[in-house]
Amino acid sequence: MNDQWTNRLSEYIDGELDRSERAVLEAHLATCGQCYATLGELRQVVARAKSLEDTPPTTDLWTGIARAIRSEQTPARRDRLVRRRFSLTVGQLLAASIALVLLSGGSAWFALQSSQSPEPTRIGGSTQRPRVGQVVTWTGHTDAAIADLQTALAQNEKRLDTATVRIVREALAIIDRAIADARIALQKDPGNAYLNLHLADTMRRKVELLRRVNDMAAARS
Amino acid sequence: MPRQVLEDTLTADSIAADSALAASGDASAFERLYRTHVARVHTLVRRMLDADEADDVTQDVFIRAWQKLSTFRGESAFGTWLHRLAVNVVLARRKNVGIERGRFINAEAPLEGVTSKPVTPELSMDFEEALASLPEGARQVFVLHDVEGYRHEEIARMLGVVPGTSKSQLHHARMALRRHLER
Repeated sequence: MNDQWTNRLSEYIDGELDRSERAVLEAHLATCGQCYATLGELRQVVARAKSLEDTPPTTDLWTGIARAIRSEQTPARRDRLVRRRFSLTVGQLLAASIALVLLSGGSAWFALQSSQSPEPTRIGGSTQRPRVGQVVTWTGHTDAAIADLQTALAQNEKRLDTATVRIVREALAIIDRAIADARIALQKDPGNAYLNLHLADTMRRKVELLRRVNDMAAARS
Repeated sequence: MPRQVLEDTLTADSIAADSALAASGDASAFERLYRTHVARVHTLVRRMLDADEADDVTQDVFIRAWQKLSTFRGESAFGTWLHRLAVNVVLARRKNVGIERGRFINAEAPLEGVTSKPVTPELSMDFEEALASLPEGARQVFVLHDVEGYRHEEIARMLGVVPGTSKSQLHHARMALRRHLER
């Protein structure tokens, strides 16, 4: 085995040799079994590095971290942070809370997706038991409320700053995707109690968001 | 939408949401971020430094993340931002404890010792243990390049060396570690 060649094997593996260097090294590899074997081992090392797994600490470190950040979280810092965040990204915080709600809803949906719901669905205080193949029809009033609020928002959003409008639109897009997904799932499984509640809850959140943003815009007029 | 894609999207949304909430001072949201990312950060720190420093440095990474969250703008994923912060904390620690540049560059001598060990005892050593036994310079380059996916130019900038040194350290680390592959 020649060090002149073995020292270039890692660069060869990583594709860092130019064409002529590569050709010369490959010619050497064709005649040197030891360098060829070393190349194979180095490739295994690279592959092994990529397969290493992360492992958590053996002790919970959160207690110490919580203590440290609590000592920093003076009222002044909290006020400063909240004021700054609200002045810049009201919509971002709205989106944040919505995304968290959708996450919990989505996880439950996955858990329930394969099961049929034997339980009647409670929506708006009344109990319904949708039949298989039935299209969801209970959303009419909410759809109308949402349409009114969206019309109002279209007129009001010019009072909001551009960044807030963008974030609100992104948040609405997330909600609309969730509503669309829920409707598609309900077409396949109209009797699923969770899906009906999830759709109702998501639509309620859209109404809340639209109302809140309209109120915010009105306050700036 | 395929289930896995939707799950990934929801997870990413959740992390983005938690990072926004934590930046506003929500410690509960920050704890959720900690739970999600602590294994990755702790493993990175443990591989880059000595194992007995890993807990302290990991705590330091998260405390600094809390302090700097208001500068996180969301251009990259939170995990990427946190990971880069962790690397910076590790490298600052390395500098603070007086691991001078000269030792990094001259790290080939102890590497020779590692590679020249007889084959049989080495095979009994776990790959992670073998990685931990490398000289610090070679170990950090190996972790940053082969485990974490940084390029030599980035590593050279981070460590204050030339790319050629990073390449050389990487090759020596690989040569040492090939004897520790589980067979």
